[in-house]
Amino acid sequence: MKYLEHVNAVLRNAVSSHDGLVVYGQNVSAGSRISGFTKGFAVKETGMIINTTNTENSLVGFGFGVMLGGGKAAFFMKQLDFLFLGIDQLVNTYNIIRNSKHAKGSFTILPVTVDMGYEGPQSSSNNFADFCSMARIDGYAVTNKYDTEKIIDIHFGRPGFRIISFSQRMYKDDIIDPGEPILADKDMKFVQYRDGSDATIVTFNFSFPYGWQLGLEMEQTGLKPAVFNVSYMTPIDWEPILRSVRKTGKLVVFDDSKSENLSCFSLLAAARGISLKKDIFIKRKLGDNWLNPVSDAMDIDYKSIVRELSSQ
Amino acid sequence: MNSKNKIAEEIIRLRISQMIVNEEYKAKKLKVSVHLALGHEAIAVSVSEILEKDDNLLPTHRNIAYNLARAGKLRPILDEYFLKPTGLNAGHSGSMNLLNPERNIVFTSSILGNQFPVAVGLAMAGKVAGKKNVTIVMGGDGAIEEGSFYENILMAQSMKLPVIFLIENNEWSMSTRIDQRRCHIDLSLLAKSMNIRYIHLEGNDPYRYIDTLKDIKKFTIEDRAPACVEVRVATLGERRLPSSPEFPEGEFINYHSGPAPEVALNEWPLIKQSDEDPIFVLTKHIDQSVLEEDARRQFTALQKEIA
Repeated sequence: MKYLEHVNAVLRNAVSSHDGLVVYGQNVSAGSRISGFTKGFAVKETGMIINTTNTENSLVGFGFGVMLGGGKAAFFMKQLDFLFLGIDQLVNTYNIIRNSKHAKGSFTILPVTVDMGYEGPQSSSNNFADFCSMARIDGYAVTNKYDTEKIIDIHFGRPGFRIISFSQRMYKDDIIDPGEPILADKDMKFVQYRDGSDATIVTFNFSFPYGWQLGLEMEQTGLKPAVFNVSYMTPIDWEPILRSVRKTGKLVVFDDSKSENLSCFSLLAAARGISLKKDIFIKRKLGDNWLNPVSDAMDIDYKSIVRELSSQ
Repeated sequence: MNSKNKIAEEIIRLRISQMIVNEEYKAKKLKVSVHLALGHEAIAVSVSEILEKDDNLLPTHRNIAYNLARAGKLRPILDEYFLKPTGLNAGHSGSMNLLNPERNIVFTSSILGNQFPVAVGLAMAGKVAGKKNVTIVMGGDGAIEEGSFYENILMAQSMKLPVIFLIENNEWSMSTRIDQRRCHIDLSLLAKSMNIRYIHLEGNDPYRYIDTLKDIKKFTIEDRAPACVEVRVATLGERRLPSSPEFPEGEFINYHSGPAPEVALNEWPLIKQSDEDPIFVLTKHIDQSVLEEDARRQFTALQKEIA
C-alpha cells in the first residue's frame, strides 16, 4: 500500500468515528480532495465537513474557537507553507487559550509538508519544527505505518491542540512497515524500531526512510543497529536514546528539515557529552540555489556510512 | 429602583470604577498596561444587558468596561491589574487579555483582528452543539482594516453563523485619526455586498441601544446569520500637549492607554458636556439630581469595596 493510501484510510476511519467533529479546509470535499488526502471522508450526523473559503489565518483561529466552545475541529491543509498566514493565531490565540485553561474541546491541524522540492521560492520552507518551536506546539511528523496508526489514534480528536503533518515526498512510495516497535513513547514522541549494539540511528522530521534504509544496509553486512524515529517536533527527554548511544558508542542522526533551529541539535549536544567512537550527522545541505525549484531529497551514500561505522 | 434607573446606575458604576483605576494608574501603582474605556460605558452596559448564559462575548484589549459590566464588581478586576492571586484571573491575565468565562467573556485579544476567527469558531461549536446562542465579537475602526475582519464576516455569512460583529468606531487607531491613515470605509456597503445586516448606533442612548441589540440578537439566532453593528464612541480622556511653535494651542492627543491625566475622580463623574459622554446622555432621561445622588452612593460604596 502506498503512503498516501494508508494515511487516507487511517484518517477516513478517524474522522468517521468522532461525534460532533467539524472537518474543514480548502478543497476537503471538492475537486481532488487535496490530491486524495481527504478522499472519501464522511463524518457522523453530529459533525460537519466544510469546504472553506481561502482564509488560512482565520481558519486557524476558527479551529481554536471551536475548541474553546467545547467542540472538535480538524483543519486539513494542502500545504504547510499556507500555515504562515496563521502564525498570529498559532501563537497569540493558542497562548490565551492555554493560559485560561477553559478550552475543553479539540483542535488538530493536519498540513501536508510539500517536501519533494521543485516548488520555487515561495513554497520552499517546509520547516515543520519551526512552527512548533515558535509556540511550543505539540507537533508530530508521520512517516511510516506504525506512526500513522498510533499518532492518529492517540491524538486526533483528543482534547487540546496539536499539528500532525504528512510528507508529500512519500505520497507515492510504498508505506514503510517497520513492524511492532521495541519501545514506544506513550505519546508517540519517539519510537524505537530496532535494537542493536553496532550503532544508534536516530531520525527526525520526515527522514525516517533514510535511517530505515541505513539500518537495512547495515543488517545486510551483519551489523545490528538500534533505530529510533523521533516524530515529535521539539526536544524531548533523550534518555531512552542516550541509553542506546552509551551501549553502541556510535550515533547517526538524520534530519531532513531545512530549519537552522533543529531539535536534533539538542540530542547531539547531550550525546556528545558521552565518549562517542563515531558520530555522523546528516542534514540537508542548502546550496546557493535553495530558493530555485530544486529537489528536496537528500542524496545519501549508505555504503560509505556503513563502511565508516564498521571501521572502528 | 426601576429598570431605567438600574441601567443608569450601571453606567455610573462603570465610570466611577474606571476613574478609580485611573487614579491608581496616575499614582504609578499598576505594572500592566490598561486601556481605559471612558466614554464606552453605554454600549458596554447595553451589550451586557442582552447577554444570556450560553452567549459568548469577545472584547478587545480595551475590555475594561465590558469586564466591569459582566463582573459586577471592581475589586477582582483591580486585583487582576495588581496581578494578585485574588484577581479575576488570579493574576494570570493582566489587563489586555482579561477573561471571565463564567460571565460570557470567553476570549479577549490585544492583536487587532485576532478575535474575529475565534468568534466564528465559537459560533460553529454552538451550532454543532444545537445551542440557540449568539456570539458577539468586538473590534475597532483599526481592526476592520485587518484582513481577518473581511475574512470572518465572509466566513460567518458563508457558514450561516449567529455572530454579531460589533465595531466600536472611535475614529482613532492609537494616536492616528482615520483620515490620517486611510480612506473612508463604508461598513454598511461592505456588509450589503455580502447580504449581511448592518446597524449604525450613535448618541450613547443605552435604552435605544438595548432595544436595537435585542432585535439584532433575535435576528442572528433565528435567521442563523451574522450582523454588523457599528457604534460611534468617543474614548474620553484626551488632552492637549503644552504649546509648541508647531502647535501653538498644544497638539491634541487622543487617549489610547495608560492614565488619563486630565480626568479626575469626582463624586459626579461627568467628563464632557456632550453626547460623547454617556453620563451626560443619562441626564436627558433621568433628573440630574437623582443621578448625582446615585453617583455619590456608588462612589462611597466603591471606595469601601477597594479599601
